[in-house]
Amino acid sequence: MTTATAPRTLNERLEPYIAIIGPIAMILAVLVFMGIAEPTRYFRTTNLNLILLDAALYMPMAMAMTFVITQRGIDLSIGSIAALSGILMAFLIKQYGFSVYVAVPIAIMLGALMGLINGLIITRLNVPDLIGTLAMDLVYRGFALVLAKGLVLARFPDFLTDIGRGQIPGLVPIPVLIGIATMIAGYLLLTRTYFGRYTIAIGSNPEAAELTGISVNRHKVYAYVLCGACAALAGVMLTGKLNAIQATSAPYFNLHVIAAVVVGGTSLFGGRASMLGSFAGVLLLSMMINALVTLRIEFFWQSVASGVVIVSSVALYAWMQKKDRDGAGGWLAALQTPDGQKMLRFSAALIGVLIALLAIGAAFAVDPTPSG
Amino acid sequence: MTEPLVKMRGITKRFGGVTALDNVDLDAQAGEVLAIVGDNGAGKSTLIKVLTGVYQATSGEMFLDGQPISFSSHADAIQHGIDAVYQTLALADHLDPAANMFLGNELTKTIMGVTVLDNKRMRTETERVLMERLGVQLKSLDAPTESLSGGQRQAVAIARAVYHDGLRVLVMDEPTAALGPQETARTLKLIKTLKEQGLAVILISHSLDDVFDVSDRIHVQRRGRCVGVVKTKESTTQDVLGLIVGAEEAA
Repeated sequence: MTTATAPRTLNERLEPYIAIIGPIAMILAVLVFMGIAEPTRYFRTTNLNLILLDAALYMPMAMAMTFVITQRGIDLSIGSIAALSGILMAFLIKQYGFSVYVAVPIAIMLGALMGLINGLIITRLNVPDLIGTLAMDLVYRGFALVLAKGLVLARFPDFLTDIGRGQIPGLVPIPVLIGIATMIAGYLLLTRTYFGRYTIAIGSNPEAAELTGISVNRHKVYAYVLCGACAALAGVMLTGKLNAIQATSAPYFNLHVIAAVVVGGTSLFGGRASMLGSFAGVLLLSMMINALVTLRIEFFWQSVASGVVIVSSVALYAWMQKKDRDGAGGWLAALQTPDGQKMLRFSAALIGVLIALLAIGAAFAVDPTPSG
Repeated sequence: MTEPLVKMRGITKRFGGVTALDNVDLDAQAGEVLAIVGDNGAGKSTLIKVLTGVYQATSGEMFLDGQPISFSSHADAIQHGIDAVYQTLALADHLDPAANMFLGNELTKTIMGVTVLDNKRMRTETERVLMERLGVQLKSLDAPTESLSGGQRQAVAIARAVYHDGLRVLVMDEPTAALGPQETARTLKLIKTLKEQGLAVILISHSLDDVFDVSDRIHVQRRGRCVGVVKTKESTTQDVLGLIVGAEEAA
């Protein structure tokens, strides 16, 4: 334990800003790289607009997910909640003639209800978050498929397309305004309300929260309800953006949003929240994916790039939070220890077997006969 | 002797077939430090958990200032002015000291009909309570609580208990167990400060040195029973040790 009398080290002074440094450094890196590689196409106004439009979709969910993850939870069902609430809204408008001004709030409330179900399953039935929301992801997706039966519901009233892709002349797109508004609301919620305060307390020390009389379960449910409502809002925005919705929409929302939040410095181990970081994380992922498209790299590399960014940023946070950074003498020294040697031999054996198998395969290879 | 502030009479607590407390009496005066000592499993923690409302006694009665009391929960006990500082301190390490001090009891203000947390006032109040009641000044109220030293964390946890104006009895469970010598001395000083302010402090400790340093009377538990209450000034470590291990009983 450090004593407060010791002069504050550089690290201690940086500590509060660590969350935001990582994603900003990576955003700068993307900007610099694209500035060299493809400046004209990447920095076109229309392209920047595209980046913002893409990011806006994820902002509400990243805001809500920040609360869930700070409470040591996780919500894997947001993609399906977005799709199901979008489809329910589409049915209300197209089949039952509901006014779009009523259907949109109904969709968001339905999302909140799905979040409530998630929360109750986790807190009342004691199903772990990971399994509970993964299972409910299947349930909600299944309902969406049952309802839509593979149909694509399209062509909605103007209000919806305005939400999804409208533009205030000379200003940013409407969804971007909605996204930023939810992030600001999330920031205020986190720092100025009981809910935000207790969210951090629950994630930081659940026993202490319980002992000081905080209703841990109730605030967990609140977080999942918020997550559900924001997922539904994203579903509404997606429907408006594409002017169409189908049961298989929004497939990877959950992982994309969790990635953005974690890249932004919110700790998966709870207690450490950064709304600004989540905002930066969302921007970073959208900028990166757009950069890959601009560089005409095959679409499938997006998945590789996202994974690499997540692993490297989480590893960076883990390293920065390690107190004794040079105690072990660095990476190479770790290989000298008996345990490191064993690991080295194990890895070598694994790779050796693989090479041997490849060699055998190559040695006995025959002319491949085209099949079919 | 004046009427004790806290009076527990004939407290018995059974967990299934196990009798954790057997007919225990306890008295604590305002403005004194009562130490509770005993071996592991002697019933110290159970006894104070009954007092703080975490457990309910199987039988027996309690009085606060002559009035009979019974608590259905810990929150109930806090309402009556009895609070505890736990060994784990129950602090949320990622929050700043002010947020921790008011955890579960936040100060709020109303802006345009919306109730929001008053972070500014919580800070100034934290600073005031730490300084006035405990004589502690933290270098920074911005840093998360995890960056504070053990003694400072203790001070924040104690400040949380003493902020409640009606606090009359403070129970401290092993406050010095995880502290170094310097921090221990500081914590013992805090206990003396609280005692001078007229609180009844009940201290559970394994460290007889600390107990003899700070307490006025020592209540010795052994196998769920109270085997003696001695005045600290009139006894020695040997006497108390004898009571704890039951040497006199055996002799």
